[in-house]
Amino acid sequence: MAITNATIDLASDITDSALAVSNTTELNTAGTTTGVNTMTSVTKVLSSTNQVDLITTGSVSTTHAYVYINNPSTDETQYFNIAIGNAGAGSPTDTEEIGRLYAGDFMWFPWDVDDDICITPSTSDDMTVEYMVFS
Amino acid sequence: MATTATLTLASTDIAGDPVNVSKVATLTKAGSTNELDQSSGLNRVHLRSTTNKVLLAANAEGNDLAAKVYIINKSDDASLYLTVTINAQTIGKLYGGDFLFIPWSQTDVDADIEVAATNWTSSTGDIPVEYALFHEDTDFLTNA
Repeated sequence: MAITNATIDLASDITDSALAVSNTTELNTAGTTTGVNTMTSVTKVLSSTNQVDLITTGSVSTTHAYVYINNPSTDETQYFNIAIGNAGAGSPTDTEEIGRLYAGDFMWFPWDVDDDICITPSTSDDMTVEYMVFS
Repeated sequence: MATTATLTLASTDIAGDPVNVSKVATLTKAGSTNELDQSSGLNRVHLRSTTNKVLLAANAEGNDLAAKVYIINKSDDASLYLTVTINAQTIGKLYGGDFLFIPWSQTDVDADIEVAATNWTSSTGDIPVEYALFHEDTDFLTNA
């Protein structure tokens, strides 16, 4: 099985004593030390403020995955609402908003693949989103 | 006053060619280039509850403001996991060593971030959890 590492480094001088955090984890299948062996990498351009499914449960064949989503915009007014649920049901109320990815922001999280990951662009201008899924 | 988050994803064998992705984000306030100016600092708890416990309580005032959350499961046991939920919606499971870094909208006061040591038993030992919140706030301004 493949060996894939994710490393996060956080550095902050908000407080008088600076914060520095660094951790690396190996991406494994659920509850094991066996590495994940599937990777998807996608770039999409969205041109509507409609909420749509970005990553569907049907695109992953396991019940544990790791997700990276990036907003590469440099325009601070361009953000994405990222939610989890089922936008395909036709109602935004079927989803729970996780947070907003502002320009230059990324997110990284484990996904239990129970519900779709949904996205809503802040503007109808062409907005690019990048994502990767490891499972 | 700056906070940066760097994520590096690397593998030599998950694809035919090596994968190496590195992303640096400077954490800013909502819709601006001003840097986030508030932090919870790094916290550590030892979780032994199999039912959801509030790790970070939502503040509805935080809706439309920027907030970033870091959580890591510091257990050495790869099988021990935390279930992370927002407003009862499961996001995913953090197995031993896994971390997340997400924006947090706090859309309402029900949007707490909760964790549960779902497969904890008295024989597994507690799950050490470390977390930090970086955010802005309309009541506590530090660089207005």
